[in-house]
Amino acid sequence: MKTYTYENSTALFKRAVKVIPCGVYGHFSPAPYVPVEAYPFFSDRARGARFWDVDGNEFIDYMCAYGPMVLGYAHPEVDAAFLKQHAESDANSVASPRMVELAELLVDRIPTADWAFFARNGADVTNMAVMVARSATGRKKIIAIKGGYHGTTPWMQAPGHHGILEEDLQHVIRIPWNDIKALETVIAEHGPDIAGFIATPYHHPVFADNELPAEGYWQKVVELLHKNGSLVIVDDVRAGFRLHLGGSCERYGFKPDLIAFSKAIANGYALSSLVGVESLRVDAAKVFHTGSFWFCAGSFAAAMACLKELQRLDGANLMESLGKQLTDGIVSLASSHGYTMKVSGELAMPYMRITDDNNVMLQQAWCSECTKRGAFFTSHHNWFLSTAHTEADINHTLDICDEAFKALKNSSGAQP
Amino acid sequence: MSYDTVKAHLNLNALLRNLENLYTLDQETASLIQSWDMAVRFTVLGGLSARLGFQNGTCTYQSPVQDPADVVLCFLSGRHLNAMFEERSNPIPLKGFKHLGFLKNEFPKVTKRLEYFLKPTPALLEDEAYVRVNTALSLYIAVYSVCELLRVDPVGRQIGPQMPAGTLQLSVLPDGPHAYIRYDGRGGATAGIGVAETPSAVLTFESCQTANALFNGKLDGFGAIALGNIKMRGLIPLVENTNVIFDRIPVYLQ
Repeated sequence: MKTYTYENSTALFKRAVKVIPCGVYGHFSPAPYVPVEAYPFFSDRARGARFWDVDGNEFIDYMCAYGPMVLGYAHPEVDAAFLKQHAESDANSVASPRMVELAELLVDRIPTADWAFFARNGADVTNMAVMVARSATGRKKIIAIKGGYHGTTPWMQAPGHHGILEEDLQHVIRIPWNDIKALETVIAEHGPDIAGFIATPYHHPVFADNELPAEGYWQKVVELLHKNGSLVIVDDVRAGFRLHLGGSCERYGFKPDLIAFSKAIANGYALSSLVGVESLRVDAAKVFHTGSFWFCAGSFAAAMACLKELQRLDGANLMESLGKQLTDGIVSLASSHGYTMKVSGELAMPYMRITDDNNVMLQQAWCSECTKRGAFFTSHHNWFLSTAHTEADINHTLDICDEAFKALKNSSGAQP
Repeated sequence: MSYDTVKAHLNLNALLRNLENLYTLDQETASLIQSWDMAVRFTVLGGLSARLGFQNGTCTYQSPVQDPADVVLCFLSGRHLNAMFEERSNPIPLKGFKHLGFLKNEFPKVTKRLEYFLKPTPALLEDEAYVRVNTALSLYIAVYSVCELLRVDPVGRQIGPQMPAGTLQLSVLPDGPHAYIRYDGRGGATAGIGVAETPSAVLTFESCQTANALFNGKLDGFGAIALGNIKMRGLIPLVENTNVIFDRIPVYLQ
């Protein structure tokens, strides 16, 4: 099997660093790619479950744009819906009927949703959620999970990061995931000041195994927070619509007060949404939060097409099934080569790790060997399945994985 | 902790501490201390103290201090200690008055040597041997500083508890310098010179020039990583968080 090289990517990156801070910044930064020379930095085009980099290398994409691609790149129905709306009106001076139609669709499909608010990125609506919680309760403090990610607004970031003030973090209390005792302690200490609790539906940090909610965890969280007069916010930006069309809370059987969606909502078109319960409608109306591009209508049309297609395909079950095929295959291959592969999180967006060392170096080496052969895997972040992945794609991926395990075994210092 | 207290910790436990490394890197320093048999203690009222022992051509650093010293220099505060480092003040000798000549004439020769290697000029950086010493000392100051910052810097104290336990190895290829930081997973760390066994994360610089450019603020670290001039593997959060702590060093040490 041919292994890829990235001359054009590297040349483009050298141009990039001269005119763009970091060259490529944020979660697209090459920094977590280990080793960096195994990965492409720039993509030219994408179709279905594949993208082609600027060197012409073809990849089966298991990062799915870090989540937004859920039906496949360049999906004909979604793109047609977007283009039709874009041709009629996208940016405008007044709101589009598509915004109302999408809100109606979300309210219809999502049991928690009695209303919907729209923006462009996940952080726009996690911020909105926190503002609504503070406005509704008249309280300051937000409880979040250690290692939980809700965007890059200062209050969400870790201490010490550049541009972050100590004061930005003053009212955010971090507790471990699945730790009801810690939650009870925080409520006992800060109860009258707690506006809300924000967490992803299951814990999907980077560089660490993912953790599903323990039996009864969310139900207890809702009970404790509501008893305290505080709100429960689910950050479903990453997992939303991959696990359940009604929001991931439906999968785990609880009802929060607010849910933030983005990523998969419009199959790659920029959109996010905060939905909430009836009792918060007035508070949401009072919070002023807006942006220049938040009313662009093309994304609303794309989202409606995307959500309808996900329903038609039974997307959540399809992606779970594909994820099972992929992860079972990799676990089995790993075992045949003498390695132990751990799967964590949800199968539609699994986190996989070779457990034969305690420093993820084997995992990094193996993911890089896969990527060099055309299966785009990062080692630090959960992967994503889409409805565009096929059994044939997964079988080909498993061939790549097999070769990658052989390469791993042959490389010095990578014995299990 | 106040700014001056944190700075005093770095001046003493990260900067001056490097006298124990300098003589191994610089022949002139080795010659200067060859015949010294002397221990100097630095004490700041309120707790911070360190001891530099010179014996048999070597220099050893100790903090907290356990062994006696021939000379004891007292500082009324962290600010007082920092002022001495900036040559704006003198310590109060509490012990070893007969060694004042040593303190006035001999000891400054090695501290000046340390200063020489830590204040590079464009001309000095043309000298490969100088670059090697400057790089090594910069690396050592950085790893020692991390331990201090985790203990006393307000931001470091917030970052430390979030870091997993594990050892970060920092190595300049092909043949050093090497240093490591061993995080205890509870917000503390110890640092050492050399190669650690079974590191959890490894950060390597392709050359002394690359490391030197980074330490002297002349290299975009992210760009260098993407281009393969700096490589990392293992528990990347150890590298990322260490980098955030490294960025606190210039807040105190210019």
